[in-house]
Amino acid sequence: MRTYFDLSGDGGSGILAQVEAQRREIAAALAGVRRLVAVASGTGGVGKSTLTMGLAQALRRRGGEVAILDADFNGPTQARLAGLEATPWLPDGRGLALPRRRDGIGVVSLGSVLAAAAPMEFRALARGDGHVWRATREFTLLGQLLAAVAWGALDVLLVDLPPGAERTVHYAEYLAGCGPEVAFVLVTIPSDLSRGVVARSITALRATPCRLLGYVENMAGYRCRGCGEVRPLFPAATIPLDAPLLGAVPFDPELAALCDRGWPAAAPEAAGAGVAAALDALDDVAGSLLPALETAR
Amino acid sequence: MRFLCVACDEPMKLAEAGPPDGGGSLTAVFACARCGHRIAMLTNPWETEMVTSLGIRIGPAGEAEAGASRCPFSGVVRELEAEAEAGADGVAWTAAALARLENIPEFVRPMARQGVEHYARSHGHSEIDERVLDEARQRFGM
Repeated sequence: MRTYFDLSGDGGSGILAQVEAQRREIAAALAGVRRLVAVASGTGGVGKSTLTMGLAQALRRRGGEVAILDADFNGPTQARLAGLEATPWLPDGRGLALPRRRDGIGVVSLGSVLAAAAPMEFRALARGDGHVWRATREFTLLGQLLAAVAWGALDVLLVDLPPGAERTVHYAEYLAGCGPEVAFVLVTIPSDLSRGVVARSITALRATPCRLLGYVENMAGYRCRGCGEVRPLFPAATIPLDAPLLGAVPFDPELAALCDRGWPAAAPEAAGAGVAAALDALDDVAGSLLPALETAR
Repeated sequence: MRFLCVACDEPMKLAEAGPPDGGGSLTAVFACARCGHRIAMLTNPWETEMVTSLGIRIGPAGEAEAGASRCPFSGVVRELEAEAEAGADGVAWTAAALARLENIPEFVRPMARQGVEHYARSHGHSEIDERVLDEARQRFGM
């Protein structure tokens, strides 16, 4: 009796052919995207999404065409950061028009179409066992969004990933087959707790086809408003990270407050030195990122 | 997954597939091209969910293209679309505007539809045509 590998085809179900067709649609939609940069973190709460938006703006200021895809479907924050919470998704001639901020940065985030506090839910046939299929559905949705949006010509498409070392690898595997070259930027804070998980991600990413550009240290101290000195927020970290440091961004409570109202297109004139320092640091990160992107593997 | 007719040692072909029943079970009938023997694969809801999570259509080749989608996922989305239609408060779509909407993948289509209808209602449009879609895109800088 013949075995599985003795047979060819799928018996007419067309499942594999459809999956391949989905991949071709994604590649076609991303044909004008030069670089796909995934921004990931080991643990949540390190400011990855905020840093993604800040990085997008820094790249934009350098003249790049930039967009963000918020792939954190369970905690989509990019719509709010972009000030696009009330911007609907609209059809263009082919698929979804790319929603844009006034400064030209495109942002696709479920936060634009999901009501505030509404969780991302899928209709399910198998009740109570979402853990079995949820991840698959999320990747399918990611693929549908990548294929549906009229991305146009972009220098960089930043993909804001959900946190988690294991998820980072899953997304690396998935995105690697989407068409453009994929590079990863990891975000950590200067604590051993966070760096330890990022260290795992670095090791795991090395085994994927994606490039690891390096990591950004967020919340790298804060500027004291009294004396103007930059002071640490965390004890000195001891865990080494085997990847280039792309930059360190200080924390500033005023910038955090600004982000809650939508990331500013430029530092407000009345903003304190802390805001300017954080934006300058993001510019430096963008400056490190671009040459790294252009370097051959 | 492949099915083999043991008697003929021949791969079986998908003959028909129905949408999932109320309990989430999917029926797919396979037949042997040589002896005609038929079997039915009956999935449990978890198996159905795993396959439909891929966002694919299930059915003999060509049916999807003929518009006879057997995709349980599509069925689920149609529910959402029906809800969107029910909540439209009298906002009608012209065929041309609807055609643009049809270009959007099924899963995100209801979200786009609701957004457009909300825009139309809040701007006093009783009908959504291509002009309203273009107006909304301009309004939101797209």
